[in-house]
Amino acid sequence: MLTTKSFIKKNKIGNVLKNIREHYLRNDIFCGFDICERCSPANSYLSSTHVNNCSLFLYNHYIILDTNVILDQMDILDENVIGNVIILHTVLQEVKNRSLPMYKRLRSVIENPSRHFYVFANDHHKDCYLPQEETELINDYNDRCIRKACLWYMEHIREARFVFITDDNANRQRALSENIISVSVKDYVTHLDKAQFLEDKLAKHDFHVKVDAEGLFPPHCSTFQIHNGIKESRLYQATYHASRDNYLEGFAMVDGFEDSILLQGRSGQNRAVDGDIVAIELLNQNEWVAPSEMILEDESIADTSLEDALKKEDELKTVTHKKKGDVKPTGRVVGIIRRKWRQYCGILQQDGSDTSVYQLFVPADKKIPKIRIETRQAAALRSQKIIVAIDSWPCHSRYPNGHFVRALGKIGDQSTENEVVLLEHDVPHNQFSEEVLSCLPKLPWIITDEDVEARVDLRHIDICSVDPPGCTDIDDALHCRPIDDGNLEVGVHIADVSHFIRPGTAIDLEAAKRATTVYLVNKRIDMVPELLSSNLCSLRGGEERFAFSCIWIMDKKANILHTRFHKSIIKSKKAMTYEEAQITIDDKNRNDSIALSLRNLNMLAKILKRRRLENGALVLASPEVKIQMDSETMDPIDVEVKKLFETNSMVEEFMLLANISVAEKILASFPDCAMLRRHPEPPSTNFEPLIKAGKHLGFDIRIDTGKNLAVSLDAAVRDDNPYFNTMLRILATRCMLQAIYFPSGMYQKNEFFHYGLAVPLYTHFTSPIRRYADIIVHRLLAVSIGADATYPDLLDKRKSNHLCQNLNYRNRMAQYAGRASIAFNTHLFFRGKIQDEEGYVLYIRKNAIQILIPKYGLECTLYLAQKGEKSAFFEYNEEDQNQSCGNIVLHAFDPVTVRLSLDSNNIQHEKFTLQLVSPYIEGFSVPPLNKPSRKQKLEDTGSKSPPEAKRKKKSRKH
Amino acid sequence: MLQKVHIRLAENRVNTSVAVDRRIPKIFTPGEIISEQKEFMRGHGTYEQDDYLKASVAGVKEQVNKLISIRPLKSRYNGEIGDVVVGRITEVQQKRWKVDTNSRLDSVLLLSSVNLPGGELRRRSAEDEHMMRQYLQEGDLISAEVQNVFADGSLSLHTRSLKYGKLSQGVLLKVFPSLIKRSKTHFHNLPVGASIILGNNGFIWICPIISNEEDNVGGFVQNLEEVVPRPDREAIGRLRNCILALAQSKMMLFDTSILYAYEESLKYTVADLLIPEAMVDVAILTQHRLNIAENS
Amino acid sequence: MSRKELISEIGLRLDGRRAHELRRIRCKLGVFTQPDGSAYLEQGLTKVLAAVYGPHQVRGNRTKAQHDSAIVNCQFSMAVFSTTDRKKRPRGDRKSTEMSIHLRQALLAAIKVELYPWSQIDVYVEVLHADGGVYPACVNAATLALIDAGIPLKEYVCACTASLANNDVPMVDISHQEEIIGGPTLTVAALPMSGKVVLMEMSQRFHLDHLPKVLDKALQGCKDIKTILDEAVRRHVEDVGSSSGWGNTSEKART
Repeated sequence: MLTTKSFIKKNKIGNVLKNIREHYLRNDIFCGFDICERCSPANSYLSSTHVNNCSLFLYNHYIILDTNVILDQMDILDENVIGNVIILHTVLQEVKNRSLPMYKRLRSVIENPSRHFYVFANDHHKDCYLPQEETELINDYNDRCIRKACLWYMEHIREARFVFITDDNANRQRALSENIISVSVKDYVTHLDKAQFLEDKLAKHDFHVKVDAEGLFPPHCSTFQIHNGIKESRLYQATYHASRDNYLEGFAMVDGFEDSILLQGRSGQNRAVDGDIVAIELLNQNEWVAPSEMILEDESIADTSLEDALKKEDELKTVTHKKKGDVKPTGRVVGIIRRKWRQYCGILQQDGSDTSVYQLFVPADKKIPKIRIETRQAAALRSQKIIVAIDSWPCHSRYPNGHFVRALGKIGDQSTENEVVLLEHDVPHNQFSEEVLSCLPKLPWIITDEDVEARVDLRHIDICSVDPPGCTDIDDALHCRPIDDGNLEVGVHIADVSHFIRPGTAIDLEAAKRATTVYLVNKRIDMVPELLSSNLCSLRGGEERFAFSCIWIMDKKANILHTRFHKSIIKSKKAMTYEEAQITIDDKNRNDSIALSLRNLNMLAKILKRRRLENGALVLASPEVKIQMDSETMDPIDVEVKKLFETNSMVEEFMLLANISVAEKILASFPDCAMLRRHPEPPSTNFEPLIKAGKHLGFDIRIDTGKNLAVSLDAAVRDDNPYFNTMLRILATRCMLQAIYFPSGMYQKNEFFHYGLAVPLYTHFTSPIRRYADIIVHRLLAVSIGADATYPDLLDKRKSNHLCQNLNYRNRMAQYAGRASIAFNTHLFFRGKIQDEEGYVLYIRKNAIQILIPKYGLECTLYLAQKGEKSAFFEYNEEDQNQSCGNIVLHAFDPVTVRLSLDSNNIQHEKFTLQLVSPYIEGFSVPPLNKPSRKQKLEDTGSKSPPEAKRKKKSRKH
Repeated sequence: MLQKVHIRLAENRVNTSVAVDRRIPKIFTPGEIISEQKEFMRGHGTYEQDDYLKASVAGVKEQVNKLISIRPLKSRYNGEIGDVVVGRITEVQQKRWKVDTNSRLDSVLLLSSVNLPGGELRRRSAEDEHMMRQYLQEGDLISAEVQNVFADGSLSLHTRSLKYGKLSQGVLLKVFPSLIKRSKTHFHNLPVGASIILGNNGFIWICPIISNEEDNVGGFVQNLEEVVPRPDREAIGRLRNCILALAQSKMMLFDTSILYAYEESLKYTVADLLIPEAMVDVAILTQHRLNIAENS
Repeated sequence: MSRKELISEIGLRLDGRRAHELRRIRCKLGVFTQPDGSAYLEQGLTKVLAAVYGPHQVRGNRTKAQHDSAIVNCQFSMAVFSTTDRKKRPRGDRKSTEMSIHLRQALLAAIKVELYPWSQIDVYVEVLHADGGVYPACVNAATLALIDAGIPLKEYVCACTASLANNDVPMVDISHQEEIIGGPTLTVAALPMSGKVVLMEMSQRFHLDHLPKVLDKALQGCKDIKTILDEAVRRHVEDVGSSSGWGNTSEKART
């Protein structure tokens, strides 16, 4: 039964503990070759027909890879060129330990039968196992194991030839001396037949370059030093966040410090890239500096000119050293604990030379430094959006080294830009696989008798849905009817998506991965295939559909007397838009059942809303815009702020109510694994900018409770500035934390609170077509009313937590992606246009003013001075947070008029250029648009503000 | 006192087996079906379930006509009438003593089943009941014979013979009862200067040879003053170690095997007989001699 | 994926076993001479000693004795050095008491106690090294010790653990390492020949969908263990029997 040969002890010493583990060696491990007669055969994708055509070798061969090859050259392996590769288990484990993303990519390659990869469990093979020697380092040991496996293969399958590919010179030399045929990746790839394009994808690593004492960056500490440092609390471990505005600044949150730690300049950042986990050393207190509050961008062209960089850094230093006011803890990165490098979208630096193989790559994300790549197709790639991966960042190189991965398409194309948005936000957007589509019900879909049996038939009730115009995924519908005792029966009917998406199926896994439908301006990335999202699950007017109903009995004062849930069959009478519904309510002549029920609903909703606000729910605002698209060219033709009707709020109220009712129900049934949504109260420090801003204008914003905040926000109204209150609410929104999904078992009960809505329990139930969380909630609810059975993962607290983390991440990313898409289309809309617009000052900065233009929901920066220079016109008053020029003082919230135009100089980041129109400041402002001659003149004088504008997208929603 | 203790790693341990190549009978293990037919009667070590006769212990089958039983190689002592046992008094009760004889329940020695000092014809009086503890008290060792087996399996003993009675100076050894070979006599005066009682219950008593037979009347006298000479004590010690060596190798114990072992052990000192290798050596040599004796 | 995979994609567990494979079991009967029966059992690195005394007269509190059956008394203890962190474990702490009770429950199902009225059987189990599956090892060792003592059993009583790897694949005989990183563990003690489950314990809750397949695996494990134990018993009986020349049997056969 057991084919153990012997077992050896593996000692793992940490804290004087001695762990002994068994390690079974087997004799039944298959070598992977069909022709082998000695092994017991198992599944293997190795193919005798596949040919690896490398001119270095005159014969077909099988490839054995070293760990470093997989870790560094995954992009090569991803290409369908190299096949018949044997992955040793030793290597696989090492890859898994070193980099999980690489491991996942490798796994998908291994699982693809057409790639002919095979995993050989050499460490459990009785002839390939080697005991580790006492003084041997793990790396050397692994290398020895790999070579042993190579030798075994050479001996075992004499008919085949094996090539060992490694980038580790020492290992290669050893292998050669043991008569193993061995090459480096570079040599192998450059000699591959018909695969020249692979050369661009070779990762650049300087494995054996001696550390240059004159390096541009201080060298990193060794892992050992870092570990010791952290243990002795000399160093701190933290995630590095690059600043969006200033490429020479970054920060990191460290436990025990209230403020984040500032990391400034070349030596401070020391080659950390946004997201990396780094080791930080704090500087002496007298070396601490304040954040520069400057906006600084890396504009150097050639990758060799260091002087420019040094100059800028000095500039930064002088600025920061002058300011002694509010210094922040400052530190420097002394080592990288873990790189979080991924693949980056961006373009090649436009002014590079096409003839050079070395090119600079400019990532779309400004937090990522430029990357040096090597390519022979620079001319062709110049006009493309491309993807690049970072390979290394040696300390003598100003930029990280990377390699080209693939091209996305032409810069500025809508499809390309959509792709970029999706990739940058990690949105899974490939087509649904065959396996997923095979889970769909077969058309024509009919309701069977069993279905009718299992559900409550509500087809006779007048139900309608209210949605935005053009909505095809209708997941909610409503009804309201008077019942005998004078009370009202109100029903919320939600599409029964969980009926179609059964747990554990391919479609379920895919939906769980996608987590949410992503809405771009002209594109929707569905969470579930269209047949479900727009047809079978969509509660379209006049069609019979399955629903999950939440039915309340309410009195006329909107008190809930009774709640019940059941699965049902409904037939929506009409799918209306908000506007239609509003008209129906307002039209006194209409007295049909739908109009009556809408009126009742509206009446109840108003009471509900009032009650909710009285409880301290916040009314927050964020400038949301809608982009009108030309239906043929798909070009944006207008940008406008979304219109809101009373009916919007009506639908929203009932959805909130349904969510709350469901949350209570599922928590009662599943105290440990109910999926809920919490919105934590933000720490008071978050509110500082809001309080500051309020104080300047004489309003006392109280933040001790949500209720007080709501009241004080309501009170902050200025007659001279009708938009003031909205702006304050926008600011308040930005103070908020993100609401998150969580399984109830992971938090204490008092932490379930939803701050924004001021309810103790909340969940998402009402949009299962576009949110995966709702599907889970549907399943939980179905179990708790006995309509469905549980399945293991549903009740596994840890699994749900894992799922929640993914949902939260995807939701956040979907939100960002949506905004990025709007931003891009707004840019598209403004291309070639110049307009004067009303706006309001949002923030005052040292060398700039941030201005909000409500009409377009835009937030742009008006530069008052060149970077680092003092403005010729304005004086910055840090205390009062204003900029003054003569007797004109600009405060936050002041109305201004600005001229808006699009600067397309930087084709990757098109920016809005702002020029002040009013208040008029001689020499700085520009006259209104009807006097073009003046404008020309002003531009010649060089007072044009630098081509810089930003849309900040940080607003947070509940 | 300085003692040598032999504790070794498992891999260095000596294989004590002296197994000789013999026909191995069929071995039954618990739960195994012995017979599917109903005509057999179930004996010890078997039980009936679902019409099957199954074994309940690990051992070999013994069949007497239709009675089938499985005898385990090792178990507590199951007494049979006439067995010689060595036991230890555990309790003094009304008109009876309780004796630990290594069986699953304590055996009973009735006051009426002993020869009291004064001859066989002495009448037992109430006084004797009060005197019981003076004859035998808790912890005393006796040799006795099984007189009867009660329904619950406990034994009734008697010492109504001069050879039974209280034991005086000597050494008690415990081995598994199954290692004691049943024979006509279990009392042996070995020519090496010691006498030995091989109790059927696995208790073995070694003592100096009692020179004066007449003294041993009813045997409630303990002569603890008499000093046993050193050569006798050495012989007793050697005997003990030899028996342990045989027992360790699971060899049957009877006068010949013990005597052979004694003779083979003479090349070792008494203390050296505690070394595992020596013990096995003795056992193997004994086995060898027994084989020769049997085959001749 | 934060959790470590317990079964690699090529179907091997962390220590190189496949899902259905037990760890190596080595055992020896009759390791002591003092008790009536004793056994030593290694299941992987889990090492257990068991000793059985009895059946014998009930000592101490006589009132415990029963007229229709023997009483079974179990005592479980762990050596100070049995786990990675050296810990003094007082006898009778909560864990060992629980273990003793569970052990007793499993053994009672197999021992034919009705044969020994007024008697008592003592089972002592000492864990020398704990590396997962302590309870099963104890049950298995105790079974061997009982057989060695010649105490009648209905059949072998065996125990085994099973769990789910990667939340999907049932696997048998869980090592300590797998216990730590894995999910819930199911411990089953069974009479493998008749397939009766005599004790079942879960370290955490299983979902009902998973339970049957995990239980199946555990029962299969019990059966495999029984085969191994049976082999050891036969070897032992042969060995002892040959040494003693089949004892009084052959003699009887001759006479």
